[in-house]
Amino acid sequence: MDDDQSAEETAFVVDEVSSIVKESLEAVIGRNPYEHKRVNQWVSSVVEQSLGQLSKLSKPFKYIVTCIIMQKNGAGLQSASSCFWDNTTDGSCSVRWENKHLYCIVSVFGLAI
Amino acid sequence: IMEHLGHEYCLKSHGKCIEGIIGGVDYSQNKVNQWTASIVEHTLTQLVKQGKPFKYIVNCAVMQKSGAGLHTANSCYWDTTTDGSCTVRWENRTMYCVVSVFAVAIAL
Repeated sequence: MDDDQSAEETAFVVDEVSSIVKESLEAVIGRNPYEHKRVNQWVSSVVEQSLGQLSKLSKPFKYIVTCIIMQKNGAGLQSASSCFWDNTTDGSCSVRWENKHLYCIVSVFGLAI
Repeated sequence: IMEHLGHEYCLKSHGKCIEGIIGGVDYSQNKVNQWTASIVEHTLTQLVKQGKPFKYIVNCAVMQKSGAGLHTANSCYWDTTTDGSCTVRWENRTMYCVVSVFAVAIAL
């Protein structure tokens, strides 16, 4: 029992990270339409908020959070990542989110210290 | 330590990599999947060949030029004395490409 608990405390849990990201997106962007003047602020707020919540988890990880926001107007967008790390301890999680006016992709990478 | 992610190196080497894969072509929905995968693989391979004590994350986004707005941001929670990142923006007539490289030091 103790072993499982401590493993959980030091593992990269995708669901946990995913819900932190979704909460940040809802809080920062919510139902807002794409606004050129505000979108800069939004991407910064989403990454800052997500990172803040992640560091509060106090897990032994370094984190990288990236966020892309794209206006819905028919353009195609493709994103890919490749990682050179320790498969047993490191992990990543990608959240695709949208509202009526924009798409958002947030990726979180956690690297064990 | 971070010289190999220095500004010039980044632009030259990652720029060349992108150029090599999508240089003269037009955005194609069928191929874009392959392109982003190739770009990240090539970039990662080049970095790993340097043999430095780092873990790497390479991220690539390709977007069709059609008037839509696109914004990207990164934030990192790490050791600012040893870790670093580099982002290269590239474009041709029909698409934009943004490649970001993150290097996290491995404790030896």
